[in-house]
Amino acid sequence: MIISPESLAVLGGAIALGGGLAGSSIGIGTAGSSGVNTLAEEPGQLRNVIVLASLPMTQTFYGLIILILILTTVIPKLSAMPDAGGSGFAVFGCGIIAALAEAFSGAYQGSVCASGISMLPKTKGRILTNSMMLAVFVELIGVLGLVFTIMALSMLGLF
Amino acid sequence: MAGGLAGSAIGMAIAGYNGVAALAEGPEHLRNVIILAALPMSRVFYGFILLIIVITIVVPKLAAMPDPGSSGFAVAACGLIAAFAFGFSGIYQGSVCASGISSLIMTKGRILTNSIMLAVFVELIAVLGLVFTIMALSILGLM
Repeated sequence: MIISPESLAVLGGAIALGGGLAGSSIGIGTAGSSGVNTLAEEPGQLRNVIVLASLPMTQTFYGLIILILILTTVIPKLSAMPDAGGSGFAVFGCGIIAALAEAFSGAYQGSVCASGISMLPKTKGRILTNSMMLAVFVELIGVLGLVFTIMALSMLGLF
Repeated sequence: MAGGLAGSAIGMAIAGYNGVAALAEGPEHLRNVIILAALPMSRVFYGFILLIIVITIVVPKLAAMPDPGSSGFAVAACGLIAAFAFGFSGIYQGSVCASGISSLIMTKGRILTNSIMLAVFVELIAVLGLVFTIMALSILGLM
């Protein structure tokens, strides 16, 4: 059978990491292109721009954690389940939770960081702390997506 | 591979649009514009590396797996990771490079180093995607 429970579970993990990668790319790209414009005005803000532009990178690693958990912990337990096919599809569904959380939080953390970066010259760098605090709120959604995916997997008895 | 091609093409096109506009104002910046517009091209090569790995290493091992059909589907899922990484990082690296190109005239070319640095952050995501895909294949015992 082509689509076995194990391969559906791998697909779920792959989509989770793919969502993380997409969110990080969009976020860093958005923050970076506003960073270039800020640096054109004021090259002295390079350090602050780099700090803010690299914040959305973490979403990739949350997706990676989900993929590794699914590949190493969930898949060996899958064959012991009473209905392996249904459980495999459920793992795929849990992967979609993580993918959506990481993709959207990465993309919109990038726009928070981009706003922060564009305010750096006007405030002479003082906005750094505040914009990091606001970006951490969006980061929280990414972490919640990770935690709730693991929670859903453990409720299904697969973790 | 297709994700890499799509990401590179869109990224280079976005950077290229701004490149033409910048060259119309200051034709002496041709060298810098070409450097920045060519950055998203690397996705094609990452995709190509992955295609070669799958064809030369993974496919021969596939026949030895207990359930080749489902392992093949898992390899397709791992390919999806790379397609997401290369597709999105190519597109958004293009927009970083486009901002850099449009600031070239104002800064008389001094922005080149800084915009390459910020573009390398997006490049990093593509490299991570390549590495993590290879890692997933090796966890599955196919590498």
